[in-house]
Parts: sequence; structure tokens; C-alpha cells
Amino acid sequence: MMGFASLMGRSLKARLIATFLGLLLVVQLAGFSALRASLSTHAHQELPARLDVGDRVLHSLLTQRAQKLTDGARLLAADFGFREAIHSKDTDTIVSALENHGRRIGAMRVALYDTALALQASTGDDLETLAPLAARLAGQVMRPGNAVDSTTSEIGLLSDQPYQFVMVPIKAPVVVGWVLMGFPIDERLVSDMQALAAVQVTLLTRTHATDAWQVKLSSMSRDHTEGLSKHAWGPLQAGSGMTSVKANGEEFSVHPRWLTIDADHGSVLALTSLSVDAATRIPHDLQVALLVTTVISCLVFGVGSSLTAHRMITPLHRLSAAADRLGAGDYATPIGDEQREDEIGHLSQAFERMRVSVSAQKEEILKLAYWDTITGLPNRAQFRDAVCSAIAAEQQKHAAPASSAQPSVAVLMLDLDRFKHVNDVLGYRFGDLLLMQVAERLAQQLVRGGDMVARIGGDEFAILLRSGDAELAQTVARRIATAFDAPLTLEEHTVDMGAGIGMACWPQHASDADMLISRAELAMYSAKQRSAGALMYDPKIDAASAQTLSLLTEMRQAVSDNQLRLFLQPKLSLGTGAVVGAEALVRWQHPQRGLVPPMQFIPFAEQTGFIRVLTIWIFEEAARHWRMLHAEGLMITLSVNLSTRDLLDQDLPQKFEALLVKHQVPAEAFCLEITESAIMDDPQRALATLNRLSALGFTLSIDDFGTGYSSLAYLKRLPVDELKIDQSFVKSMETDPDDAKIVRSTIDLAHNLGLTVVAEGVENARTWDMLRELNCDQAQGYHMGKPMPADTFANWSVGWLTRHRPVDVVSAVILH
Amino acid sequence: MLPLLLCGSAQAGSVAVNVTDAAGKPLPLAVVSIEPVTAKLAVQPSAPTQVAQSKRQFVPRVSVVTVGTSVAFPNQDTVRHHVYSFSPTKNFELKLYSGVPAQPVLFDKPGIAVLGCNIHDQMAAWIVVVDTPFYALTSAEGHARVNAVTPGSYRVKVWHPGLPGNSDGVSQALTVGAADIEQAMRLDVGVNPLGPQP
Repeated sequence: MMGFASLMGRSLKARLIATFLGLLLVVQLAGFSALRASLSTHAHQELPARLDVGDRVLHSLLTQRAQKLTDGARLLAADFGFREAIHSKDTDTIVSALENHGRRIGAMRVALYDTALALQASTGDDLETLAPLAARLAGQVMRPGNAVDSTTSEIGLLSDQPYQFVMVPIKAPVVVGWVLMGFPIDERLVSDMQALAAVQVTLLTRTHATDAWQVKLSSMSRDHTEGLSKHAWGPLQAGSGMTSVKANGEEFSVHPRWLTIDADHGSVLALTSLSVDAATRIPHDLQVALLVTTVISCLVFGVGSSLTAHRMITPLHRLSAAADRLGAGDYATPIGDEQREDEIGHLSQAFERMRVSVSAQKEEILKLAYWDTITGLPNRAQFRDAVCSAIAAEQQKHAAPASSAQPSVAVLMLDLDRFKHVNDVLGYRFGDLLLMQVAERLAQQLVRGGDMVARIGGDEFAILLRSGDAELAQTVARRIATAFDAPLTLEEHTVDMGAGIGMACWPQHASDADMLISRAELAMYSAKQRSAGALMYDPKIDAASAQTLSLLTEMRQAVSDNQLRLFLQPKLSLGTGAVVGAEALVRWQHPQRGLVPPMQFIPFAEQTGFIRVLTIWIFEEAARHWRMLHAEGLMITLSVNLSTRDLLDQDLPQKFEALLVKHQVPAEAFCLEITESAIMDDPQRALATLNRLSALGFTLSIDDFGTGYSSLAYLKRLPVDELKIDQSFVKSMETDPDDAKIVRSTIDLAHNLGLTVVAEGVENARTWDMLRELNCDQAQGYHMGKPMPADTFANWSVGWLTRHRPVDVVSAVILH
Repeated sequence: MLPLLLCGSAQAGSVAVNVTDAAGKPLPLAVVSIEPVTAKLAVQPSAPTQVAQSKRQFVPRVSVVTVGTSVAFPNQDTVRHHVYSFSPTKNFELKLYSGVPAQPVLFDKPGIAVLGCNIHDQMAAWIVVVDTPFYALTSAEGHARVNAVTPGSYRVKVWHPGLPGNSDGVSQALTVGAADIEQAMRLDVGVNPLGPQP
């Protein structure tokens, strides 16, 4: 993780540096290009001017030279000795004087003409070819109006070499002849040109117009001058400005100047030239300077951007480390860098806010995870932890040699009775208030510090007794039972609370915390099943509970293997004592366990929805038996219990109808019993089902009336025909005048609503009689008959009638 | 010789020559000499004469002497002069001197001697040496008159420094009788070298 983070850091840093340097290079390149373009433009603009200057410098140089040579020649011609020699008439003397005096001023070729311009003597050969030139020069010198010191010079070819010729008269003191002096045009012209005008000079000559140009002098390399000499320099170009010539792959701007144009005696062409490429090229020292600048700025930028990147990335590393700390669960250490004003500071502040927020949320989550929000008690998770630590503490204590006490931890589990009904009837808010009250009461029972009350489920509470043994657990359980004796009063409602309590102890019942809790839970379920109040865990319970685990599979098997038995409990007319009906009940004849009591599988079937299968089974079985009983002459109504799930089954009326058709039984043969609470789960759907059942012709009965909270107004809307008073009232009406009053008023009420009243739980004759006096319609109970196998019902009926001989009644019933 | 001259003088007429330049203007200081077509006339050297140097100029600029005449070159300036002549008529040289040189220069050949000063280029003078007694210089009006010319066939020759190059003048045939002759001569002289010197 760190390695990855640092790698990313390096890469970000590298990217930053690369970006900086890239931008710098782009700027440098742009600058370089701009410089280059500017230089090029400048050079192109400057070239003609420079060439023009060069040309003028050339012209000026030649003129100056001519002036200088003229002056020199003039002085020489005035030399007395020279003039004396000339007049010696001795040719050798004259020639040697010409050579000697010519050498004085650097004239390589000297010729003497008489006043008629006839060549008298000369140094070297070929001087006769210069006759036209001499004539021109003499003419210019003698031209009227010419100043005495005016320059007259011409450039010409002599023996293929370019010379600058000047001609001066020899005066003694009048003109007695002419002397022509030829000065070779040499490298000095080229070096002077370069020194003065920084241009290249090339001198081309040709003897005849048809000849090729010969390079006589040049400041340029041979390759380039060759290129220039091959150019077709025509006379027309004389005086025209610049010409572009490509020589040896390089472009030159050339300014030609014709020094002599003579088709027969030779032409001399001077070319001033400049390399266009060299002019547009960035000078070498500037290139070096730019390169050095680039390198230095790259270094500066590199170091600068590296430092900047470092400054930017270091806090990022810190943040990354802080994020890792957060990830590892350390919310206590502040992020740091929050004081910074920049973006990093903002990020740090955001991280800090996140840290605080996550920390708070973590606490909240912990609270949610370990605390029950309604009661504020620890929840199941915390309870479990507490049990674990209690056991660990006990083990430690036991390990200590000084301790003699037997280690023990006790857990109590508590499930409120009828809490669901309270929630259903009085609402969840009320239910929550009730839970809080219960929590308070439970807490009050714990006087020892370190013990814990927790809410571990909907209406389940748990109590941990550290170092508590079975005896202590029993004591606490008793205290709780006592505390629950007093009804709770909440918002003008008085609620009678009861609870099933299960207890288990470590190490007797369990080897660890989970087992301890689950065993206490088992004991609690068992206590509730048996309505036994408080129950200490017993291995037998565990066996029973293990049995329930495979119950569903076994129940399915029970249906398919015909292990279920239909039992009937008679309903008798209190008026005539006749058997008017029977409640159809299911019993399970388990192949191994024998007869399984309904309490062991009916609640489970209701929980799992298997009850619908059972209901159909009971209905069909009842229909079958009704046919048989009918055949034997018993005209009775069979009652079948419907559960909540049955009522919510939209197809139930259809299924019943199909079964009626199948077994050819009228709907009137059945009474369908529904508990109040079954209706209350979803009153609308329940009502719809009931209406359809009623329309089919079934008699409907409210079972266990008095235990629920149904209002009479609501009852009135139900399509019921019968009320069954809960056996709890009936059983105690003999001893409790209040219950008797309830029974009486219920009977009256039901009659007033036009309902038949059935009393359940009639266990003795006294009750029978009381009910008769109260005009109750029918009775059901052990006093008359326990639930019996359906097969035996017919015989029992005969026996019952025989024992009580209500012949008239029987016949009346039969006749009915 | 003398009788002829005398005779001549007795019967002779004068020859007047009007010399004009190329533009037709009177040309002063032109040398007019009249030479017989045949035979030579005996000439006497002229009286010794002089060409002085004054204010860095030769004075006079143009002189005419007969063969055998000695000419002195007195220097009247404070600076020295170096008078020379490369002319075949008389090649001489008077190296830097002041005052009057010891020896005058004898002009013993006919021809034109051009005199210069080696240290003052602008100085020039011409001495025309003739071997005829009939000669004259034109006046400022371009007139030259030669008196007492013995009748006979002559060539009249006019020369002027302004003539180009090696020209030794323009000559014309002339027959002299008893009467005076007036002759007009035109010389192709454009620029007069004897004009005002700079």
C-alpha cells in the first residue's frame, strides 16, 4: 500500500517535472523559431542593402585606388630623372626607366606612348593590345574641362590578367608623351572588401564574349566560385540589382558590376555576393548562448519543479498516511495540515471533517450495534460479549489457587406474554413504552453491580448474573415474577404483564457463552409452553427442542403417512342435553414418540404456515366423518378452527367448496371457529374471507371470546353466528363471581346480537347448571366429553344419550 | 649677304600676318617666320637676350631668336629655379640657382626649345630658334609685321604653343614682291596655354 502510494507519488512528481520542462522547451523552441524567422526576415531585408553597400564599397575602392594610382603615376611622370631617361632616345634605357619607376609605385606593366599615342616602349609583352584602352584614357585625360588631377583609370585584361590601368601625360613641361601604368588587381582588393563591407568578392574575366568566365580572384571557396562562374552573366544584367544564384547547393545573392565590357579585348566582371543561407543562419555564438540558456533554464526549472512537486506531494503523502490510519480504524489522530490556507489545507480540512464524522458515525454504529435504541439497554451482541467476559473472568478466578468458591455464571431469559397483542391493539408506540417500563422494572431487580439486563429481541430480555449460581438465578426469577405481578399502568391503560423465564448456569448447563444463552432460551420457551413461569434448564428440554427441529419434515411425513388422527370433542345443547355438534381436533400419532400433544406442533405449524395443510386435512377428514356420522343418523355440526394464515388465504373458500362437493356435505354441516386475534392481524382481508365463507353457508364462530380486545362494534360487522366464551372465564365462574358476571353479560350480549353462545371448559356439573341457568346455548368440556378419536364418536354419542336418556331430546334432535 | 639685305631692304616690302585662333580671335605670341623656299639665308645671331624668371613665371613666355644666339636666364625671384629643356633643339639644364647663371645658354640649332622649371611645374617657356632673318611675334592684336623682306619665294610659318603635340607650325607659300603683303593665318588653337596662369 505504501509502496503503491509512493510509486504514484513519484509518477505524479515525474509528470509535474516533465510538464514544466516540456513547457519550457516549447517556449524555448518558440523563441528559437521566432528568432530564426526574425533573423531570416531581417536578413532578407538586409541582403540587398548589404550587397548594395558592398558594391558601392567596391566601386569606391576601385575609384580610390585609381586616384591613388593616378597620383602616383602623375608624380612619377613628373620625375625629372624619368623624364630625362625618356628623352635619352635609348630604348633599353627607356625600358629600364619604365620598369624601375613603375616598380616604385607597384605598376607591373608600364608603357610609353608619344603624343600621337604610338607605343614607344613597354615592359613585358602584349601591350599593343591596349591601344584602344590607351586612346580612351588619353582622350579622357585631355578632354577639355577635365580637372588637372581628375582620375582616369580603366580596368582591362592584359595577358589574361585583370589590371587597373591609369594613363598620365609626361610634361616637360608641355605634354611630350604618355605613360600607361598597369596595376594588377590582387588579393588586397578582396581583403579590403571583406574588411570594409563584409561581403564576398569574386572577379571573373574572359577574353572574348564567347569564352567561359575564369575566376581570377575570390574570397569564396573554389566550389562556390565555380558555381558563380557558370552563371550566365549577360551584359544586360549590368547595373541591374541583385541576382540570386545557386552555387554548390548554397544560395547566394549576387550583385554584378561590369568593370570592363569589351567583346574583343576582354571583359572583367566583379561580383559582390552574400550567402543567403549564412545570413539566415543563426550565428554560432548565438546558438551556443541559446543552448546554454536552455540548459541552465532546464536545470533551474528541473530543480524548481522538483522542489515544487516535492512541496506539493509531501502533504499528499501525509494525507495518504492519514487516510491509511483512518482505514486501519485510528480515528483519534488528527489529520494535520488543516492550518494551511491552500488546496492541500482544504483537502486536509475535508479529511479532518471526514475523520470526525466517521468517528461519530462509528460511535453511533457501535451504539446501534451494542445498544437497544428503545430501552437503552445493551442488545444481544453486547449481552453475548458480557457473558463471554463473565465466563472468562470466572475461569481466571477459578485458576487462581486462593479461590475456593465454585465458579458460576447464570443467565436468565425472559419473554413477555401477549406482547404481540399489546402491540396489535394498542399500537407500536404503546408497545415501545411498555418495553421501556419492563426494562425499568427488570433493572430495578438487579441490586448487584456488574449484572446486566439486555433486550435481545422483540419482547425478549436477558439478565446476566456474574458469579451467579442456580440459586441466585431462582431468587432473581422469583423477584421478577413478583415485580410483574403488579400491572403496568401506561396512559390510562392497565396492562397485566406476564413472562416466561428460562434460566441456565455455566458451567453446569453449558461450556461456553453461546451455549449458555441458547440453553437459557430453550428453558424460556419451555417455560412459556408449559406456562410454568420460571424454569431452570434441564437436558430433557433440550431433547424436546431437538425434536421440534425436525418437526416440519416429520409433519409433512405425518400427512402423507396418515399419522394424523381426527379427534372430536362433543358440543352439547344445554337446553336438551343433546349432542348438537363436535369440535374437530387433530392429533398426531407419531410412530416412535406416540401421541404428540397439539401444543408441540400446532404453534410450530402456525409459525411455518403448515397450519394451512393441517386445516385442509382436518376439514376434509371432518367432512368424511360427517358423512359417516350422518349415515349413522347423527345430525351434528362439526367445528373446524381457522388460523390467521387460513383467513389470509384467498383461495380457502374455494378449497372448502371443492371439498364439500367432493364429499357431498352441505356447508351447514360446518362451523368455522376463528379467534379474535386471527381476525385482527389483517381485518380487511379476514373480513373478505369471512364474508365469502358466510355466503357459502358456513356457520362462523368467534373462538376464545373475551381474551382479545375486539370491540363489540367491530364484532357486529362480522358475519358470525356464534360466540365461544373462553374457557378461562368458564372454568373460574364457579369460584369467581366476576368471571360469572362476565359469562352472564357475554351470553346476554350475544343473545341480544342474535348469536348462539357456546361455553368452553365445562368441567363439572355445577358449571353446567350455572350455564343452563344463564341460558347459554351450548357447552363443551371434559365434564361431558374429552376430545376422542373420531371413529369412537358415534359410539360415545349413543352412550351419552343412553346415560342421560334424553329420549325426547334425542328424538327431537333426530327428527330435526 | 649684307648687300642683299640692303638691296632687299631697298626694294623690299613688308609682310604683315594676322593670326587668329580656332575661334577666329586674334592670337598673340604666335611666332611667324618666313623662310625662303630655296637656299638658306645667312643669319646673324641675335643680340644676347634673356628669359628671366619672375614671380615663378618665365618672362617672356615665348621668344624668337636666330641660330647662335645666347640666352641668359636671370632669376629675379627669391626662390631658386631649375631650368631645363629636353627639347632636341637645345637640351640643357641649369641646376638650382639664384641670380644670373654664369654662362648664358647658346641656342645653336633651329627648332623649338620648351623650357621648364623642375621644381615649378607650372612654369613653361618656349624659345623658337629660327635660321631666317624674317621673323616676328604677333602682338596682342594678333598682328605681326616683318619688314624689308627680300622679294622671292618663301614659306611663311606660324607656330604657337597652343598647337597640339609635335606640330612645328602651320606654313604657307608666300611670294614676296615689292608691295607689302598682308596675310591672314588661322591656327587650330583651342585653349591658349599662355592664358592667365592659375
